Amino acid sequence: MPGMNSGLSPSDPTLVAAFRSALLHQGAIALLMLVFLWLLWATARTWRPAVSAGTSGVTAGEPAEARARWLLRTGFGVLWIFDGILQAQPKMAGGLATQVMEPIAASSPGWVQHLVNWGGTAWSYHPIQAGAASVWIQVGIGTWLIVAVRGPWSRLAGAASVIWGLIVWVFGESFGGIFAPGLSWLTGAPGAVLIYVVAGALIALPEGAWRVPRPGRLLLAGLGVFFAAMAVLQAWPGRGFWPGRAGGKPGTLSRMVTEMAGTPQPHFLSSLLSGFASFATRYGFAVNLVVVIALAAMGAAFLSGRPRLVRYAMWSGIVFCLADWVLVQDFGFLGGLGTDPNSMIPLIVLFSAGYLALTPAAQEAEAPARAAEAKRPGVRSVAAAGALAVILLGAAPMAAAAVNRTADPILALAISGDSTRLNLPAPGFSLTDQNGRTVSLAGLRGKVVLMTFLDPVCTSDCPIIAQEFKQTGQMLGAQAKNVELVAVVANPTYRSTAFTRAFDRQEGLTTVPDWLYLTGSLSQLGAVWRHYGVAVENLPAGAMAAHNDLAVVIDPAGRIRQELSSDPGPATLSTRSSFSVLLGQYARQALRQS
Amino acid sequence: MSRGPASRIRVGLALACAGLTAGCGTQAATVAVTRPPAMTASLSTSLTTAQGTWAIAVMGGSAASHNNFWQLFVRRANTGRWSLATPEGVADNGGLVAAGGNGSLVVGFRPSQELAYSPLATSTDAGLNWTPGLLDAALADTPGAIAVGPSGRTLALLQDGTIEAAPTADDAAAGRWVPLATLKALAASAPGRSCGLKGMTAVSFGPDQNPIAAGSCVRPGAAGVFTDAGGTWRSAGLTLPGNGPGMGTVRVLGLTAIPGGNAALLAVGTSLLAAWWDGTRWTVSAPVTADGVRALGFGPGGSAWLLLDSERAETIAGAAGSTWRALPPVPAGTTVLVPPGTGTLAPGTGGSYDALAVAGSRLTVWRLARGAWGKVQQITVPVQYGSSG
Repeated sequence: MPGMNSGLSPSDPTLVAAFRSALLHQGAIALLMLVFLWLLWATARTWRPAVSAGTSGVTAGEPAEARARWLLRTGFGVLWIFDGILQAQPKMAGGLATQVMEPIAASSPGWVQHLVNWGGTAWSYHPIQAGAASVWIQVGIGTWLIVAVRGPWSRLAGAASVIWGLIVWVFGESFGGIFAPGLSWLTGAPGAVLIYVVAGALIALPEGAWRVPRPGRLLLAGLGVFFAAMAVLQAWPGRGFWPGRAGGKPGTLSRMVTEMAGTPQPHFLSSLLSGFASFATRYGFAVNLVVVIALAAMGAAFLSGRPRLVRYAMWSGIVFCLADWVLVQDFGFLGGLGTDPNSMIPLIVLFSAGYLALTPAAQEAEAPARAAEAKRPGVRSVAAAGALAVILLGAAPMAAAAVNRTADPILALAISGDSTRLNLPAPGFSLTDQNGRTVSLAGLRGKVVLMTFLDPVCTSDCPIIAQEFKQTGQMLGAQAKNVELVAVVANPTYRSTAFTRAFDRQEGLTTVPDWLYLTGSLSQLGAVWRHYGVAVENLPAGAMAAHNDLAVVIDPAGRIRQELSSDPGPATLSTRSSFSVLLGQYARQALRQS
Repeated sequence: MSRGPASRIRVGLALACAGLTAGCGTQAATVAVTRPPAMTASLSTSLTTAQGTWAIAVMGGSAASHNNFWQLFVRRANTGRWSLATPEGVADNGGLVAAGGNGSLVVGFRPSQELAYSPLATSTDAGLNWTPGLLDAALADTPGAIAVGPSGRTLALLQDGTIEAAPTADDAAAGRWVPLATLKALAASAPGRSCGLKGMTAVSFGPDQNPIAAGSCVRPGAAGVFTDAGGTWRSAGLTLPGNGPGMGTVRVLGLTAIPGGNAALLAVGTSLLAAWWDGTRWTVSAPVTADGVRALGFGPGGSAWLLLDSERAETIAGAAGSTWRALPPVPAGTTVLVPPGTGTLAPGTGGSYDALAVAGSRLTVWRLARGAWGKVQQITVPVQYGSSG
């Protein structure tokens, strides 16, 4: 999936440190916003004590919130906050696109991969902003759901949950894998976040709808259809769930559980999973039979809509889902890149809410207890506004990053390490450009020189570095006229102007203004290589000529200001763009320093 | 108590959704496809020049193609020992193509990874020293993609089927090439239309030193060999015995210049044939049947060899009524066969074949003596794994 991959390790210390720093920075801003809102509210209350009443939409004497809605709101609020905290794991910024999104999408059809790739590419261009945004958006939605009890604020929180949930379901879960083979309720079909979406939609319903059993019946009927469908899918012959062992290898379920056991986690958990995998291998048919019967029974009970049956189904469903959560889904969030606790906990909350919604009359008994909540509407309004501010704190930079076509320079810094700031006179040289003209460094005074060393017959790094230089020139815009992009040949054998011209044609550099590809005799080149610390040598046995990748930034006065490794690393779209941005930043700095 | 319509609708909906959902996860049935034999020549080959005998083989044994480098070995004239002669300065993981003539050997580097054109290297001292050259285009992926004439005129077959020419060796070194023909133009010419030309596979020089080009044709039994007569391409007149609708399409796998003419290797369905041209008429060998060809090459005097699947190897001595002769099963890992070492000694006439077997970075030379392969030399090549990643 080209484009999605930043090619960097999720544990890259530069990325991890930048992510942590961004979270701390934005966390401090969030705290300040909350304090500000609190002060604002306190001031307003002092001046007009009556104004706060009713802003949350709750007034004493109104019927209390339906138990089902309360369960959905607080349950999914807690889940969103938990997911947000998971998003703050150190490896998430650098690893979500490559280690989570890409593998999930890999088995889906091409159009799904294409769509997910688009999102993953946006993430990989700005991993820090995207990672931090995900944290704050999810924490914000969760908090909003919990604190906004009633009224339009609360329904809006449900709508926000739907919108964000759909984004996560499409890009983070590749539509929950519903278009991929091997779909199974056991492993999380149809995607945990789709359950959040359903819950959000229910929370967004008018509150009056919860005063009758109809929403509960409809929810349970929908769940009944879902469970019945999952039972059929699980029982479908040829999908590999019946045999514990097929062709001498563990069956589908055993294989899935064994893969989960490989996730980094405490030993006793992996042992538990391995034990269950062995059990499923040995008694595959029986295990699947139990699963199919349980799913079908739950489906039938929910479809019946009879409270007693539903109650039995709910309690047995809770036990069944918890068993699956532990033994198959392995809690869902372990390993450093888990984004949520998978589907079982949200599902339990959802069908439990469905059961509660079947008996709305019972909520009256609860009313006095929760009526106390109505006495503190101002606090909740402030908290809800704070939660919204937290969401915007994440969403605004993420939106800005999404429309920015250039990548974060942090990727280049992660690859090349910090550049060396210098203030040394640049060793002079006089070489021949691609058109046969003599060019000296002294003749370039007055301009910033971005210089690197390229092998014209290189098969890997050099063409990529040349493209990064070319892109830098484009990014500099009007300032490009004050910057000279210079490459010096780094091949002792293939170094004539015929090769520099061929390289320029290959890389589309012939029309790039201020691009110079310099060469000379072996002694001339040798001197430049030596003065700038570039080691060049031919290697035997068909290997490319070796040289270190180096870029230097020379200011208009002819002094070296920066020296950095120009090794393009994984050379993905995002890292290439990142290098260009970084070089452009250094060029602008050098222009300012002149 | 009877169930109401709502219940029936629910049950119906459940079953419909269940069926639909189950359908989403159903895998498509696998369709068995019978693959035609692989009748495409690898770049692994050998050739003989006045300086010595050359062999090209890919080494490395890595699953990552960029870690497999092509190597050029030379057995210099009057020696029985092989040595590594791969030109330095360019990564050759895209493949090497070599051609001898005018007292030199020209090696072309096929593009790979980010490199889109083909640097060249020329040696006049049996690979001790190399002079760089340039072809500012991508060489074709076929062992016959370069030809050097006695005058130093050089032909190159490009990836897109274009044929380019450099008038002299100096022009080739400086990258001064001119287009000679394009696949489109050749296919549109009368001989191209006649055979249904669909691709080019080799270039060479004819007995009159004019360029010759060969390719694949879609018309059954028609062989695409063309000669350039002052800018006009004509059919070289190669027709196969019994050609017609019942015969398969013909692909020229190899083409080379021999004293007084040319030799070619052809694939027709599962049959492989050799053909020799003396400038006026073609002589075609009896066919040898194979499921696939792994490598092929030419030796002195119009001799040729084929390395086939299942460790089979076949050789043929030349035009004079010879037939294919099977060699003993070649050693495991054999990627190239090399004819006997002198320019006057044809296979089967007292010389012996070498089989070059590759295992990772180790080349083992096996020599055929008294009907059996005997190990005569081993070379460990310092493959630079990771140098082009």
